[in-house]
Amino acid sequence: MPTASETTSTTQTAKTASAGASGNGGARPVRKVRPGRRKPEFTARRGFLITLFMAPAAIFVAVFTYYPMIAGSQMAFRHWNLTDLTDTSWVGLQNFRDVFADPAWGTVLSNTAIWVVGSIVPQLVIGFALALWLRRRFRFRGLYQALIFFPWAISGFLIGILFRWMFNSEFGVVSDLLQKVGLIDEPVAWLADPKTAMFAVVVANIWYGVTFFTIMILAALQSIPEELYEASALDGAGKVRTLFQITIPYIRVTLALTVLLRIIWIFNFPDLIFGMTGGGPNNETHIVTTWMIKITQQGDYGRASALGLIVVATLLVFAVFFLLATREKREVKP
Amino acid sequence: MRRRTAALALGTAATMVLTGCSSMSGSQADGTVTLNMVESLTNPARTDLIKGLIADFQKQNPKIKVNLISPPTEQADQKIQQMLQSGSGVDTLEVRDTTVGPWSNNGWIYDMKKDLTGWKGWEAMTENAVKASQDAEGKTYFVPYGFYGLSVFYRTDLIKEAGFSKPPASWDELLEQASAIHDPGKRKYGYAFRGGANAQGNATAIIEAYVADEIDPADGFKLKNGKTIFSAPEALDAMQTYLKLFKDASPKSSVSWGYPEMVEGFSNGSTAFLLQDPEVIATVSESKSIKKDQWSTAPLVAGPSGKTVQPLATAGWGVAKGSKHKKEAVELVEFLSEGEASTDFTKTNSLVPILKSAAEDPFYKTGPWSSYVTMTENPDTYLNVSQPRGVAWWAEWQQRADADIQKMVLGKTTPKELLAGWDTYWTEKRQQEN
Repeated sequence: MPTASETTSTTQTAKTASAGASGNGGARPVRKVRPGRRKPEFTARRGFLITLFMAPAAIFVAVFTYYPMIAGSQMAFRHWNLTDLTDTSWVGLQNFRDVFADPAWGTVLSNTAIWVVGSIVPQLVIGFALALWLRRRFRFRGLYQALIFFPWAISGFLIGILFRWMFNSEFGVVSDLLQKVGLIDEPVAWLADPKTAMFAVVVANIWYGVTFFTIMILAALQSIPEELYEASALDGAGKVRTLFQITIPYIRVTLALTVLLRIIWIFNFPDLIFGMTGGGPNNETHIVTTWMIKITQQGDYGRASALGLIVVATLLVFAVFFLLATREKREVKP
Repeated sequence: MRRRTAALALGTAATMVLTGCSSMSGSQADGTVTLNMVESLTNPARTDLIKGLIADFQKQNPKIKVNLISPPTEQADQKIQQMLQSGSGVDTLEVRDTTVGPWSNNGWIYDMKKDLTGWKGWEAMTENAVKASQDAEGKTYFVPYGFYGLSVFYRTDLIKEAGFSKPPASWDELLEQASAIHDPGKRKYGYAFRGGANAQGNATAIIEAYVADEIDPADGFKLKNGKTIFSAPEALDAMQTYLKLFKDASPKSSVSWGYPEMVEGFSNGSTAFLLQDPEVIATVSESKSIKKDQWSTAPLVAGPSGKTVQPLATAGWGVAKGSKHKKEAVELVEFLSEGEASTDFTKTNSLVPILKSAAEDPFYKTGPWSSYVTMTENPDTYLNVSQPRGVAWWAEWQQRADADIQKMVLGKTTPKELLAGWDTYWTEKRQQEN
């Protein structure tokens, strides 16, 4: 059992080391300036050249990203239904009102929350555990790494279809295995009941997303200097204390950013649900983005655009709050 | 010097882009016309077949070249919409009964009526095909290449074991036979219920069968008295039978079964009855779980009056309004809709044919295909009724009806409430239309 002073010493060691690591918000790296080579002066000609070189990329992004986004956004305020484009008049906020007035909107929102939270927490925990395990050296480590990273290379829609068959109660492997080990007496119609269907799509998403956390966390873990662990071992820190006072503090920037990215991605990830349940049964596994696809399929691009703007606004607000909330923790005090 | 090089490079690039574009579509100096043709229900085998047919067409018409564009099926109709909206780039295209409404409404597709007046191809076509080529106002936006129609796929061995001598001829008999075979404990299921995507198709088929005597032949969702088919008392009997078919004879998970699960259920030998399109004949023929003598098809089951309605779905070839080569584009449509080209297309794609001559073809006369010929040859029992699949709100209706059917089988609504909702929906839509 380490004493209080030992704990402080371990923590301080971690902080000092973390402050020195590049990319973790610590001390600025010192740039070596070669003798006889000075920074060129900024001139109008140089500025023109920089602009010229940047222009193709800027024009490309403007034409293919921002223009369609802005052009698409205006549909949200117009009557824009593909079944009849003879009337595309401005309708103000009517499309937004229609989105909120839909009786399914409440279910769609709560499903989105279940989808995001239910997926992200297990993905983080399992991904972290796998990364810790893969950090150790053992035989065939490379092979295990490749196997674990494999799901990330498959399309979400395809995974949806695979899991749709696996969760099929009559022909699927899930019910069959559970029956064989005696956990259930008769096949469960997973995708036929709204509650079990939501559970099934979240399970599939956990399986899919664990990989990304493993990749990111493993990369971050490999940047922790071995000396830190040696020092903490000398100080008598146990495994749990090492995890919470060295490993996690050291990689918290990566963790925070990965969680932020994943939340945005999971929110915007309709492929899997679309392939697996199509939002059914009875529209009860729809999340916001699958709901948007459903509206698009009806040809109502106006309402779908309104929903798209709601999604963008929600994610922007979320990203700002998340970054503000984690900023203080990420900054390492001197 | 540097400026001259830059100008030269720019000039060369511009020339390449312009010549590249011009070779994609349009006419060349020697009078050769290039047509852009877009397909919608793309699959690799079908694309190869169309390419072969195009090669034959080009041989017959050396001054016309056809450039086939094959977007993936899932996005095809949206891609075609974007192309049509831009006003150029498409000459001949695949038009479906579900897309013809909105596309003609937006003025994107061309009425070929005048061009096809006096065309000899009409005489060779079945009554159904001629009918399907005209909309309510008599305009011809597409010429059908074939039909997708329902028949009953059934297990000859299982019905025999259950004590029945012949396949069901009515929905009641189907319920009786399927319930007798259904034994989930042994993983034997009676009926492959469609609860997932496009569930409304089979549900409206049973309603139409039950109201067959009163149905309006010009609109399958309307009765002769002008009311919707969902308002008839027989529609309630139909839905109650249908719900019973789910409860007593179908696998539990079929609440979410779409096309793949239904076909798999029948092909893997676990399910005795399936209502599907003729394209499934090819899939089931390749099954390793059931042999050729263990299954067959029967004509679509009838309602209490002994009649039923063939809920035919169709698609065909049409011409874009923005095309600068309408004459040549129509010639291509004519070529694809007659003779060997049409027969090859329907046979290879397992479609109900558009040509009268198919009834004499041994391919259609025997085996699983014969039930389709029986239905075509007996229009008094298997009524030819136009389905309102071309209305602008069809996609919205499909999604709404699919969700309602799932609600009903999950016990969250009753057949009566479901039908009342559908009746109000169609009555209001028709009123708005007028």
